[in-house]
Amino acid sequence: MQTTQAFDEPAPDRRTLLKSAAFGLFAFTVGGGPMMLTPAEARTRGAALAKLSADEAALLEAFGEALVPGARAAGIAHFVDANLARPHSESLLTARYLDVLPPNDAFYKAGLAALDAASRTVLGAPFAQVSAAAAKPLITAMLPGTITPWQGPPPPLFYLAVRSDAADLVYGTRAAFARMQVPYMAHIEPPADW
Amino acid sequence: MAAQLSPKRTDAVIVGAGAAGNLFAAALAEAGKSVLVLDPGPAWQARDLYSSSIWARRLRWGGPVVESTGGHAFGAGFNMGWGTGGAALHHYGTWPRLMPSDFTMRSDFGKGLDWPIGYDDLRPFYDRIQEEVGVSGDADAEVWRPAGAPYPLPPLQQFAQARLLAKGFHALGMKTAPSPMAILSQDYKGRPACLYDGWCDAGCPTGALANPLVTYHPRAVKAGARFVNGAHVTQLIPGKTARAAAGVEYIDHTGTVQTALADMVILAASTVSNPAILLNSTGGAWTSGAGNSSGLVGRYFMTHSIASVYGFFDGEETENYMGVTGAQATNMDHYGKQSLGSDAFGSLQWQLAPTMKPNDLLGVAMARADLFGAELTAFMERAVHHLAVMFGFGEGLPVLENRIELSDRSGPGGTRTPRVVHTFAPESVKLSENAAQLGLKIIKAGGAAEPWAGPMASAHMMGGTIMGRDARTSITDSFGRSHDIDNLVIAGPGLFPTAGAMNPNFTNHALALRSAEHLVAQWLS
Ligand SMILES: Cc1cc2nc3c(=O)[nH]c(=O)nc-3n(C[C@H](O)[C@H](O)[C@H](O)COP(=O)(O)OP(=O)(O)OC[C@H]3O[C@@H](n4cnc5c(N)ncnc54)[C@H](O)[C@@H]3O)c2cc1C
Ligand code: SF4
Repeated sequence: MQTTQAFDEPAPDRRTLLKSAAFGLFAFTVGGGPMMLTPAEARTRGAALAKLSADEAALLEAFGEALVPGARAAGIAHFVDANLARPHSESLLTARYLDVLPPNDAFYKAGLAALDAASRTVLGAPFAQVSAAAAKPLITAMLPGTITPWQGPPPPLFYLAVRSDAADLVYGTRAAFARMQVPYMAHIEPPADW
Repeated sequence: MAAQLSPKRTDAVIVGAGAAGNLFAAALAEAGKSVLVLDPGPAWQARDLYSSSIWARRLRWGGPVVESTGGHAFGAGFNMGWGTGGAALHHYGTWPRLMPSDFTMRSDFGKGLDWPIGYDDLRPFYDRIQEEVGVSGDADAEVWRPAGAPYPLPPLQQFAQARLLAKGFHALGMKTAPSPMAILSQDYKGRPACLYDGWCDAGCPTGALANPLVTYHPRAVKAGARFVNGAHVTQLIPGKTARAAAGVEYIDHTGTVQTALADMVILAASTVSNPAILLNSTGGAWTSGAGNSSGLVGRYFMTHSIASVYGFFDGEETENYMGVTGAQATNMDHYGKQSLGSDAFGSLQWQLAPTMKPNDLLGVAMARADLFGAELTAFMERAVHHLAVMFGFGEGLPVLENRIELSDRSGPGGTRTPRVVHTFAPESVKLSENAAQLGLKIIKAGGAAEPWAGPMASAHMMGGTIMGRDARTSITDSFGRSHDIDNLVIAGPGLFPTAGAMNPNFTNHALALRSAEHLVAQWLS
């Protein structure tokens, strides 16, 4: 239906447009009820996942941890999952900078499946079960795009997206800055300290 | 069914509330015109600009995802903004002027295109803009700088990273100068001086950096311009003849199709969205898109190549987390179009010592994207205190095949979403490769350990709606007026026929001011 807007109609205010981005934490479901938690807390409490299956989350944790040690405990699977559940315009994932075409959950799911299949073929075991040393050659082949077999999104893109998600949680938080003795110097504190 | 309201008219409808849109809105509203500005993104305010690389991502383009393809696919998601302020809300404020040689490349070298104007036409507008918004720098130290008024503010403070990198340039007999920055080194016109925390990429909430929220947006609002957010413009509406636009159609925040009628349409929706809107405008006689009699809408899309050069200064705290996200110092010794080897062509600008936060695309962890696991952990421990970086911005030549076109994906209101197709010309690739080699020589000369060059990257969006003298070979005249549609003005770096090697926003402002004042003068007469 086509209508014509009267300009004196109130414009949508900032609050309407920002929606959940106004909240610092993500809404996770724990024990059937919604709770505002950090991704690390959500992991510890076993919060329900919205987009990823339990197997996919375990695989993402294993891959994230292999890329950036510390990512598993920091809650990479819950961080990615919560962002995938948001509208694209509110996503905080680097995938947004990498021109990943929507839907982004399909991108992560296909990438994880491709990685697991490559691991089973090349290393003879699911990725989540291989050691860091065994996984190294496989992961090394992702950025140059030489990993085979691979049936999924471009391997460098998937590698960069997950590596950046993991780096966000392990190196991009206030606590991480403090650990590395890098002064944070916020003008406005981010609403969540992941 | 809701009652049909009779459409309200404004004198001007401005598509896009970014850098160019706000300047136009201020100029037209202050001249007494009624102005409506439409933007699909949120009405950002300073308090939304959290100091976090993670949170900064929601400031970037949140509309339909732009496809990117070609031999050197362009990072549209990183380079496009949305909402009040546009990309300029979180831009870095590095504001060099173009050089006179950038305007006459075709005449001088038989390559690329000529502008329909020269540096001297823009010079007074550069001078006025820098005075209005506050630019810090040292004009005398910039020995390469074209003629123009000195900066209104002294240069920004420099930190260890800049001093260490400058050593290499000086050792090779090259010069460095403080970068010209649209960031305040001192309090200016009620805005505070910079605090050097390096959070500019997340948007500067203090007002030290000249983003539209503290420059032209308040002026536009004060003069009565009306901003509607959540409004995605889909197409221009044809007027009574093929040479007239009646206004624009947009989808509002509820998903309803709306119409905004106006005497003048100003398209300031970014280098990517301007051509997309024109190509989607196929009403009336505009069968191949509005303003597209030349068939060149979307063509000659350009970006700057980036040669990134890194090195460690282990005995020193490089303070790479301090300063500003843009750059602390610059060198333009190789701005001459043929100064980087016979196999290369185009200008080069060095930007030294941008702030690096530990994460994010331009952060420390990405400096060695190939590292992971325990090696990454060890790298990070060393790099957050001892890494230094400099970027060589190289000119991307205008190439007809590089374009913004419509994809097969459907967007708001039955439109097709834009796709960017981009491959650097071979001479431009060579320019960036030679720049990386030169950079390695420089950083080694400065004593950096284990220097390396990252893969060629790119930044900034120019072209696609280029200006020119001839309606057969360009989209607009030098004032951004469409050759085909009398009441359509296009604004933004999309107008540039060549890209130079300079960050585009100062020139964008100078062009927009020249164009807006011309429009007002014509209107009032
Ligand atoms: C991270 C980053 C750093 C940068 N740093 C620098 C720098 O240091 N120096 C420099 O010179 N330049 C820099 N730039 C580039 C600079 O920001 C741009 O050149 C400048 O903002 C372009 O102005 P514009 O008005 O054309 O577009 P923008 O400022 O991006 O504004 C365009 C507006 O149009 C809106 N729009 C898009 N589509 C539609 C539609 N369909 N309907 C209605 N509205 C629409 C968008 O939401 C946006 O708000 C940087 C850019 C980025 C992303
Ligand atoms: S470093 Fe300066 S310009 Fe950048 S965000 Fe901080 S105060 Fe603003």
